[in-house]
Amino acid sequence: MDGPAWLLLRGVCRGLHLAGYICVFGTALYCAALEPGSRAPGLRRLAWAGFALALAAGIGWFWLESAYILGTGKPGVILAALPRIIAATRFGWLTLARMGLLLAALAGAQTRRWRGAAALSGAGVLAQSGLGHGAAMGGGEGAALFLLSLLHIGAAASWLGTLPTLALGLRASPQPACLARRYSRFGVICVAVLLLSALAQYGLLIGRARLLLSTAYGATALFKAAQLAGLLGLAGRNRLCLTPALPRSRAALLGSIAGEIALGVLALLAAGVLMQLAPPAMAGMG
Amino acid sequence: MRCFAALLAALMLAAAPAAALAHAYLKSSDPAAGASVPASTSRLLLTFTEEVQPQFCAVTVADAMGMQAQTAKPAPVPGHADELTVPLHFEMGGKYTVKWDALSTDGHKTHGSFSFTVSG
Repeated sequence: MDGPAWLLLRGVCRGLHLAGYICVFGTALYCAALEPGSRAPGLRRLAWAGFALALAAGIGWFWLESAYILGTGKPGVILAALPRIIAATRFGWLTLARMGLLLAALAGAQTRRWRGAAALSGAGVLAQSGLGHGAAMGGGEGAALFLLSLLHIGAAASWLGTLPTLALGLRASPQPACLARRYSRFGVICVAVLLLSALAQYGLLIGRARLLLSTAYGATALFKAAQLAGLLGLAGRNRLCLTPALPRSRAALLGSIAGEIALGVLALLAAGVLMQLAPPAMAGMG
Repeated sequence: MRCFAALLAALMLAAAPAAALAHAYLKSSDPAAGASVPASTSRLLLTFTEEVQPQFCAVTVADAMGMQAQTAKPAPVPGHADELTVPLHFEMGGKYTVKWDALSTDGHKTHGSFSFTVSG
């Protein structure tokens, strides 16, 4: 269970779990803050779809991580050890608590209590940082990395998570230009936080440009950066070309947002794999 | 935005000295690697670079013949989530090798080994 194929699978499951989770959060955030009282069709269905993805991928991730911890793929051994993993590891209890938060958020979304749903699912998104290097290191250094992770995940979830809901809103809105402009301002803030926190983490966890090509962590980070570059290109086109041309450009804008969502999912898969790898800044320890 | 950039710069400065310390690698031990200790030494203390999950960590201390000196599983040190302690009992002197497997709280497994000498 320690091989590269298993690592990749764990990372993909973790990335998909995160994608589903931030879809629920993004839907709630959009309805609570970006277009309060939105009645665009499909909002609750989107939240449910995000929950289903987060749950299914989360179960897969939990199983694979448990197998990795125990060093065995035997289902009987893993099943027997699950209570111990839940009780005795931060990964176990925090993952379970996060799923509880997501379930509560979904209940809020179902009754259109979007603010509560956004707060609960937002806490669950940010709690993912509790499973990162910063939280494990402790001390002032760990706190700094932990805070950077909170900023990065929070900005990514706020931006990428609201894209599917934005598409629903734009499709149904009688004034798509107004909505797109409002979203654009929100998006710029998210992107700025995302880029700056990514840059700071690059400096701390990778450090040297040559490590981007010579290590698995660096190559995966580079792949993620490529998705981000594509996302920024599409976002720039949306802001500068397609939004001013609304409502004539509505179909093109929806297509562009679909492209952003696809690149966002790829970036989240890369993030899931990254979190399984050792940053090269720690090479040579042991 | 300038305030935010300044905050990030401060965070980077705060974290820079620790960039090479992430993951649960062995930071220090008592007895230390290569040390010579009396046979009355009754415990091994391992300090890691990250917090560890004691229930999923393993430590063996064995001599060249494979005779094990640890008398119990590694236990957490109260108030120090990055430390493990292992009770020891040496029957004879010689070179002992410590092999450790650790699971950090960020879910990564690490392992390593080192040796020390027990004076007979």
